[in-house]
Order: sequence, then structure tokens, then C-alpha cells
Amino acid sequence: MLQAIDLHKKFKTKEAVRKVNMQLEAGESVGLLGPNGAGKSTTISMLSSLIMPTNGEVLWNNVSVNKNPEALRKALGVVPQEIALYPELSAKENLHFFGRIYGLKGQLLVERTEEILQKIGLTDRKNDIVKTFSGGMKRRLNIGAALLHNPSILIMDEPTVGIDPQSRAYILDTVKQLVEEGMTLLYTSHYMEEVELLCDKIYIMDQGEIIAYGTKETLKSLVSDNQTIELKAHILSQKFEEALKKYFPTANIRKEDEILLITMPQNEEPLATIFAIAAKNAVTITSAIVKVPSLEDVFLHLTGRALRD
Amino acid sequence: MLFSLIGKQMKMLLRNKQPLIILLVMPVVLITILSTALASVMNSEEEAAIQAKFVLIDESSWEQEEASIKRFLEEEGVSGPALEALLQVFKGNDPIHILEESIFGSEDISKYISKENRQFAELDILRKDKEIDGILLIPADFRFNYIKSAYFDEQETPDMDLFLSQENGIRASIIQSVLDEWQTGFTKSLALTKVGISADEVMLNGQAVERIEQSLQGSERKIPASIYYTVGMLVMFALYIPTFLAGFALQEVQWKVYDRILLAGVPATLYAFSIFITGMIIALMQQVIILLYGKFVLGIDWIGLEGMALIALSYSLFIGGLSALLTTLQLRTKSEGVANIFSGLVVSIFAFLGGSFFNIGDVSSLLANIGSFTPNGATMSAILAIQKGQLLEVIWFYMFTLYGWFVICILLSIVLFPKRGVTS
Repeated sequence: MLQAIDLHKKFKTKEAVRKVNMQLEAGESVGLLGPNGAGKSTTISMLSSLIMPTNGEVLWNNVSVNKNPEALRKALGVVPQEIALYPELSAKENLHFFGRIYGLKGQLLVERTEEILQKIGLTDRKNDIVKTFSGGMKRRLNIGAALLHNPSILIMDEPTVGIDPQSRAYILDTVKQLVEEGMTLLYTSHYMEEVELLCDKIYIMDQGEIIAYGTKETLKSLVSDNQTIELKAHILSQKFEEALKKYFPTANIRKEDEILLITMPQNEEPLATIFAIAAKNAVTITSAIVKVPSLEDVFLHLTGRALRD
Repeated sequence: MLFSLIGKQMKMLLRNKQPLIILLVMPVVLITILSTALASVMNSEEEAAIQAKFVLIDESSWEQEEASIKRFLEEEGVSGPALEALLQVFKGNDPIHILEESIFGSEDISKYISKENRQFAELDILRKDKEIDGILLIPADFRFNYIKSAYFDEQETPDMDLFLSQENGIRASIIQSVLDEWQTGFTKSLALTKVGISADEVMLNGQAVERIEQSLQGSERKIPASIYYTVGMLVMFALYIPTFLAGFALQEVQWKVYDRILLAGVPATLYAFSIFITGMIIALMQQVIILLYGKFVLGIDWIGLEGMALIALSYSLFIGGLSALLTTLQLRTKSEGVANIFSGLVVSIFAFLGGSFFNIGDVSSLLANIGSFTPNGATMSAILAIQKGQLLEVIWFYMFTLYGWFVICILLSIVLFPKRGVTS
């Protein structure tokens, strides 16, 4: 278990992180969500023993990481936001180097390298120099280098920044697979959909502080328990609107710019009923969108700003 | 782990064009240009420099000692015409006369040594004169004692005093070699004159000239432009190695690769040590390549290989230490400023003071003295001393200067190297 207790980091006059408390249980996938400059990378650096907190403590299996970083380091893989690779070396040379400094050698090193190359889909390009790679390939190799020594906990700092959608999908699939295999994951991003996809528990950070945490559902419930259905049709008749109001008496039904908005509790599943009422009233629905609160809405709700501002 | 770090640093260096151009191509091009362009200037300077100034102070003379010699011969039972004939033989075989006339008076020798006769009273002043390379003092009664020793076995060969200047070893050694030849000659001549061969024939000036040439070749050979600039560029361009290694280290921090290295459990001190070793290996390789270029392309005959190996290893040791120090300073300041100042300013100043471009001693002896305390200047002086054929002990002063620099670099690196992570 990795724990952060009252972490505080001050750089000269700037307070980068204030009173951060976090907990990662074995096999858990935890997201750290926040805009750029929120203090996510500094928190990660402290959690991974790279920088000392000004105050507070990091515990790995109840042992202080500040005093004894070796135990955590052996079990930890870190994927930094930067491409932490040697551009003049080939993919294989990079992996061999990082494997060797983790103490892998001989046949084991060769096997692990091949395994990782396969996992990140770079077997065909293993002998190519990294600087010739696309952004997505570099990102994949960046992840591979952190997995070589078979860590039990993986910290990923914005691993999909600046890459094409195809590579992003590949990386997310790879990470999802790692989580399913039982890897403990701390995933930071300002892409809420990635965090939503991969993580069971989410910490939301802003201006150096954790402003909210919990499961996706808990956090979204901070905003609202309702869902909104947006309907478009060729002709939205008054009769149809009244029929809906009669069937869903607790719902808030209103019309905005030729779109019918129906807000009701999330526990209801109204689409089949809505389509049936539409058919009965000779209304042809051309589009129906069910909207639930997103983490973006949660952040907006908590800070008054959007995540990507 | 150490070998992995060294191997990775070597690959980074070898796969970058800029370091290869600066560390190998530039020195080779400059050596070729400078040694060709300045060959005529440097070589003629060396020729003009080789003329030794010799002073003879002769306290002995036939006029003063002839009476004593006659008395001695009469005591030995020689008198009348036989005595006169014997005196003529002695005069004809007078070694001082032979030295003055047949040896120093010859055109061949006077090309290398100019001779002057002075008085004993001036000896103290003459010994302080830095222009004079050698003084031979012939004591009073030398001829009388020489005759007694040489022809009558009555006493040992009389002593003479030779004062050689320490200012210019090559000129002093020319005088020494001629006088050695002369001394050997008149010792041999004794035996030969007894069987009727003239001493003049034994002490031919040709043998003395041969000794001078041997002396020039054997002890202090001329340093042509090719050697001078090969050494000058070699010591200068090795100073760029630390800036490249420190630059790579800073990149590793910026790319967060350094974090990965630390997270893998590599101690920061081992990382610094790997930079020290890499710097050493690259410096050694660079020196070997440049020296081989000098040998096979410029036709330089490198002599004193043991001394050269010692100097190259010591300089590589220093370059390794400097690499560790520059890396330390870059990681502490988290900027390329230190390496930029070093490569842009310090290397140029060191190269100027150390004499990489020209002999700074020709401009100012003060600057030359300061230059001999720079690591590259000390190394260059040591290599040139070995190439002149001087003994190994001559280079120790320079080597200790270099070791001093090395110790300073290592101590500062140990004290200042960031032991935990470096935030970029």
C-alpha cells in the first residue's frame, strides 16, 4: 500500500503542493485529475521518492519512503510526462540499458525486452533509432521502459499527451490490460475521459490541493443525480410534449431551440418509453442523447473553471 | 551497472555528429593547417637558437710554467738538446692549445659554439651571465702537472672546472659533448704519442662535430611545427570532452532519464563516477587517435613512449575529473551556463596561456609561467620535454600540477554533486 500523509512541497517562495493525503491499495487503479500546474507532477515526484517533501510523509507498506526509498523503488515503475528515453539509441538499446540498471541480465534481459516490445507493439521497429519514431511510438516505448523490471505499482504522468488518437487508444488499451492483470496504478491526466475509463478511485487536484476524491459515481453525485435527454425530431408537436409530461410527471420537460430537454433521475431508463410515445404521436425522432454529469462538470462545479482552462 | 552507464554515454557521444566533429575533425584539420603554414617559421627559429656561448679562463701558461718544467726535466736527468726537443714535443701536444685552435678554432665547431677568453677575476660575474652556456676554468700549473702526469706517471691528471648553465639545456649539452670528446682525446693521445702519433690527429674536430650532432639528436631534438601543433591541439581539444559529457547529463535530467536511473537504484555517486570514467576513456582515445594521426599522416616520430603513456594517462585522469566537476555544476545550476562559459571562454584562455597557438614564452615569461600552471599548459610542456629527449624526471613538476588540478576537481565533485533527485 502506498500512502501520502499531509504532503507539502515548497519551492523557494512557491507552494506547489499543500496537505495532500492519498492512498493506493494493492491492485487498485487510482486517478489523479487536475489542470496543468495543479501540482500533480510534484506529488508524483514525492510519491516516487524523487524529491523530498517539505513536510509530510510517504509510506510504502508502512515504511517511510523518505528514509528508505529502496524498497519502493524496486516495486515501482514510473512513466514520466516527458519522453524519458535516449533518442540516439534504438528501442532495443534503450530497453536493454534500463533493464540492465534494474539488474536484469543475460537471457532474462533478452526475454523481458522481447516481451515488452511485443506488449507495446514495437517488435518490428526494435532496431530503429528512437528519434525516428512518431510521438505515439515514443510514448509507447516510454511506458515499456517502466515495465521492464516487472513492477507491482505503476505511476503514469500524462502518458498520452500530444499523440494521435490511434496511439492514444493503443496506450489506453495497454494500460487497461495492465490494470486487469492486477497492476496497482496511479494515473494522472487532465483528460477526464481517460481517468474515467481506467480508474476506480479519483483524486481531483487544483492549486496544489486535493479538492475532492472518491469513486466516479460519488464525485459525479456532487454535481447532480439527474440525467438529461436531448431529443430532436422532424416536428416536435405539443401533443407529444404533453404525453411525455403525463408519463413522466416528476421530469422537467422544456423546449430550447427546437430541442426537447427532459431532465429526470439517473436511476430511470426512459428511452424505450419515449420512443413508444413518439410513435404513438406520429413523431419521428432524429436524435436522442442521454447526458449524465462528467468529471469535467465536477471540476467546474468545484472550482468554477474548466479542466483545460 | 557501471559498465552500462559508461557504454550508454559512449554511444551518446559516438552517435552525435557535433562532438565527433569538435573532438576529432577540428583538431586534425587545425594540426594540418598550422603545422604546414608555420613550419618554415618555427624550424628556422630552432636553427638560430642553437649556438652556445663558451668562455675559457686559462690560468695556466707556458711562459709561467716553462721554468718549472725545465727544472723538473733536469731533475729527471734530461738536459741539453734532448731537453729542448722534449719541450717542443710537449708544446706541440698541448691539450689547451688543441682545444683552442684545432677544436674551437675550426669553422665546423664555431657554427655551434662561440668561444671567448676571459680572466679569472671575472669568473663570478660570468657565472651570473645567463647568456653564457659554459665556462671552463684551467687552473694554474695545469700544463706542468699534465706533463708530470701524462709523461712521467708522477701524479693523477690535473683537474679542470667546468661550469654549465642551467638556462638552456641544449646549448650546455653541446659544450659538454665537445669537452668530453676533447678530454677523451687527450687521454688517448698520451698512449699514441708514445708510439709516435700526433695528438692533433687523435683529437680531430670532426669527431667533436659528430658529438654535437649526436648530442642534438640524442638529448634535445628540435621541435618542428608538426609536433608543436599536434600537442597543442591535442591538449586543447581534450578540454571540450567535459562540456559534452556535462551537456548530456543535463539533457538526461531534462528528459527525466536521470530520474529513471535514480529510481532503478543507481546511486548518484556511481552515476558521477561513470562520467569520470567515460571522460577518461574518451580523452585517452582522442589522444591516441591524434598521436597516431601525427605519426602516420604527418610523419612524426614520437619518442619516449613510456613518458608519453604516463602523460596521456595523467591528462585523461584530469579530463575525467573535470567531466565529473562540470557535470556536478550543471546539475546544481540546472543550466548549460557553466559548460558554455567553460567551452567559450575558459578553454580559449587556457589554450592561449598553455601555448596551444604559439609559444607564449616568446611574448611574456610571466604569462608563460602562469600557463605552465594550467592543466593543458603543464601537459603540453611535459610532452614537449619528452619529445626533446629530456629525461622523465623533467616532467614531474608538470605532472604534479596536473594531479593538483585533478584532486581539486574530484573533491569539488564529491562535495557538490546532488545526491538525491534533480528537479528540472
